[in-house]
Amino acid sequence: MSPSAVRRSLASRGASRAIWPATWFVLLMLCVWGFPYADGLLRVLEPDANQVVYQRASLASLLLKHLFVVSVAAVVTIVGGVLAAIVVTREWGRDFLPMVAQVASLGQTFPPVAVLALAVPALGFGTLPIIVALVLYGMLPIVRNTLGGLQDVDKDIKSAATAMGMTPWQVLRQVELPLAAPIILAGIRTSITINISTAAIGATVGARNLGDPIIAGIVNGNMAYIIQGALTIALLALTVDSLFERLQERLRSRLFTS
Amino acid sequence: MSLLDALPTPQVSWRQWRPNRVLFVLFSAMLAAVWLLDVVSVAPNRIVSGEGVGLIEAMGWMGASLVSAVILTLLALSLQPSRQGYQVVLVGVSLLLLLLPVGLMVASHRLISSDTPMARLNMGMAYWLMLSLLLLGWIELRLRLALSRRRLLLMLAGVTVVWGLCVMLGLESLALGQEFRARDDEFWRALHQHVTLVSASVAISIVLGLSLTMLMRRYTRCQKIAFGVLNFLQTIPSIALFGLMLGPLAWLAAKWPLLSQLGFSGIGWAPALLALVAYSLLPMVRNTYIALEQVSPETLEAARGMGMRNRQRFIQVRLPLALPVLLEGIRITTVQAIGLTAVAALIGAGGLGAFIFQGLGQAAMDMVLLGALPILILALIADAGLGALADILRPNDSVQSGDSP
Repeated sequence: MSPSAVRRSLASRGASRAIWPATWFVLLMLCVWGFPYADGLLRVLEPDANQVVYQRASLASLLLKHLFVVSVAAVVTIVGGVLAAIVVTREWGRDFLPMVAQVASLGQTFPPVAVLALAVPALGFGTLPIIVALVLYGMLPIVRNTLGGLQDVDKDIKSAATAMGMTPWQVLRQVELPLAAPIILAGIRTSITINISTAAIGATVGARNLGDPIIAGIVNGNMAYIIQGALTIALLALTVDSLFERLQERLRSRLFTS
Repeated sequence: MSLLDALPTPQVSWRQWRPNRVLFVLFSAMLAAVWLLDVVSVAPNRIVSGEGVGLIEAMGWMGASLVSAVILTLLALSLQPSRQGYQVVLVGVSLLLLLLPVGLMVASHRLISSDTPMARLNMGMAYWLMLSLLLLGWIELRLRLALSRRRLLLMLAGVTVVWGLCVMLGLESLALGQEFRARDDEFWRALHQHVTLVSASVAISIVLGLSLTMLMRRYTRCQKIAFGVLNFLQTIPSIALFGLMLGPLAWLAAKWPLLSQLGFSGIGWAPALLALVAYSLLPMVRNTYIALEQVSPETLEAARGMGMRNRQRFIQVRLPLALPVLLEGIRITTVQAIGLTAVAALIGAGGLGAFIFQGLGQAAMDMVLLGALPILILALIADAGLGALADILRPNDSVQSGDSP
């Protein structure tokens, strides 16, 4: 198959898959804007409750806050995780490799609830503890994948790049990182998708996000509240996950055809 | 010019001198933490947050110089590492770990007088940092000295026992200990509930996961759907999953009185267990599936050549070879379940999470600690224990010295 044919077949498959992010996103928007008017529908779940639509805050504002918390945690995790992995795969940082790998895997051993609870005395109630918990919890997939991706780059390719006169920095920027990019991206995808649903527990320490309706629902025994929070979070996770899938495909096809 | 000048000169420069930079960084950080951060904090009672106290005030000049001397010695040893040096460092690190509670005793003796019985001593930032740095140092030393995981676990258990003894015997004023003594019955009951819930959910998900994987291997068409459903379950936040069990289970219990007589109701252990199992299925099934698939076809072919029947091949060849990866799945599931069970306290399932949420509600951080620390320790124990088990069960042909990074 000629390269252009490969590209075309990849593109057509991509186009058919582009439907997923759009679908999830439309459903998500439908949830966020539709629930306030779905009184009748939610009433089916809780016929006796005096209120079934969550009204303490609009789902849209909670969604934005949720996204904000997850994004801040994601930026910290990605910058920290990728940098750490790059440092320990260089010659001068190799000593720290076992330590970084261990710390990253410890991060995922610590249950986020426990981390959250331990962070509260130091950082107070609110958004900060949940960001710390998410950063710790999401570190492992990124560090593991970046390490794996960088170590998988063929030694011959690296020596070829060095032989061409590239500086170590250029080798990293132009050879290693692009080749490892699909694996790193897969790690980022896992990390963010996990954290979108983990962030909900932040509502227990006063961070306002999509976990709020869930907690309110549990406290008041109101299933309708829980559904509103849970469905929105699930759809958000699916939207982001499918977006990342598209991104991975684009990256792969670009690597494959160039 | 003689020929000798053309040859490279042997390098006896500082370049050959290779200190252990990891330990150097760790011990330097330790020294900085001890001197710059609050070692302990003292609170007049349970609700008021404590006031930080520095090293000299807490331990006196003697204690401060002793601690600094030990750390400085370790720092010096890490500059010129050798095998004996590492062993001495290992002893030093263990010694520091054992000295930590003694330091607390000294601090409580110095800072808390007998006329304020309500006063509480809390470990400060430096203490926590010191503890984690020491444990990190242990990890590094374990790699350098190629210690087996089992030996490390034994040492860790020893340190934990000493710590426990110190807290029970000599540390009346330590906040965590006070909190524990105030509700020790409750604590043991919560721990018991926690462990029971976790083991029950892991056991059920092992059985269910294995059967589901079998079904998926037989009916390959359902594979995609099954993984899709399990993936979707995982996107629902854990607290929501717990909450969503409330309604249907309450309804079931109302419908069949027999169920409610068995303790089955909308709140409590039943919905927690169900949600835990639902959440545990994905990692379980995924790992079981990978474990069974990764057994090489040649090995299975050889087993067939030896005249093994299908069932024999599965039980005698495929399953044993898949066991390490399968155990990895069990490890992930167990660690995850330990954390999730904490959340289950929100729907009245009890467990250690109850302390966390009660403590957060009352702004009593010592109580939060009483719930969170054991959960953390449980997770670490499960992680290390099951990891060690997987190491033991791994086929012997590939020599394993600890886990690969």
